Amino acid sequence: MPQSYRTALGRVRFLGSARLGAEDNWRMRLTSLALIPLSLAFVVIVLTLLHKDYNAARAEMGEPLPAVLVLLFVLAGVYHTELGMRSVIVDYVHGHAREWALIANACVAVSLGLACVYAVLRIGFV
Amino acid sequence: MATTGTARKARPLSPHLDIYRFTLTMAMSIVHRITGVGLYIGVLLLAWFLLALSGDATTYAQFSGFLRSFIGQIALFGFTWSLFHHMLGGVRHALWDAGIGLDHPLRERLAQATLIGGFSLSMVAWIIGYSVR
Repeated sequence: MPQSYRTALGRVRFLGSARLGAEDNWRMRLTSLALIPLSLAFVVIVLTLLHKDYNAARAEMGEPLPAVLVLLFVLAGVYHTELGMRSVIVDYVHGHAREWALIANACVAVSLGLACVYAVLRIGFV
Repeated sequence: MATTGTARKARPLSPHLDIYRFTLTMAMSIVHRITGVGLYIGVLLLAWFLLALSGDATTYAQFSGFLRSFIGQIALFGFTWSLFHHMLGGVRHALWDAGIGLDHPLRERLAQATLIGGFSLSMVAWIIGYSVR
């Protein structure tokens, strides 16, 4: 994982970012790449569940392959949306409101992610 | 965080948005962000779907009832379109990161492909959803 994209000369001349953005930048690209096949898989899973009743839909979602694919979609998706919303907040929200917004963003992402994971596991095991 | 109090030398400001001529790549840039925020809200719909399915037939019926409603259909189409548009926008950004397609006219073609591709893939998904049983 690249720790920094700054060159030695840039550092000496105090050019470029002073902070550590390379890791988030890398993870944004990593999750976006993963989300291409995972989103397509999710769309296919939803299309197969669309016309099924509750029992049939629940049974199908509880199968190992759809369950694992949806779990991966949720984890990569929530990480990706948290990073994305974080850059939106940093661009548009200033002062102390920014800190509250970043806290809210982290809480929303973790809560929704955990709720989705709990639901998929419950479908599979209960 | 913003520094206040001590006198700071005024920093140069970049020109404001309204001096630029409208371009498609500019519009696709903001639409990428809007669809991203839309998908953030869409995670709520995803959580509702999974929690409803993990519950019982009643909770799932409530969720399906919402999806079948007018607002639900608009929300679901918005989610579908945002997903495909944002995905293609991401591919475009990945190409740009690799230094591909930055020049005219390819960047315009890529922007058009994002726009047309996002709607086309959404329509394909919805046609399959409505016709295949």
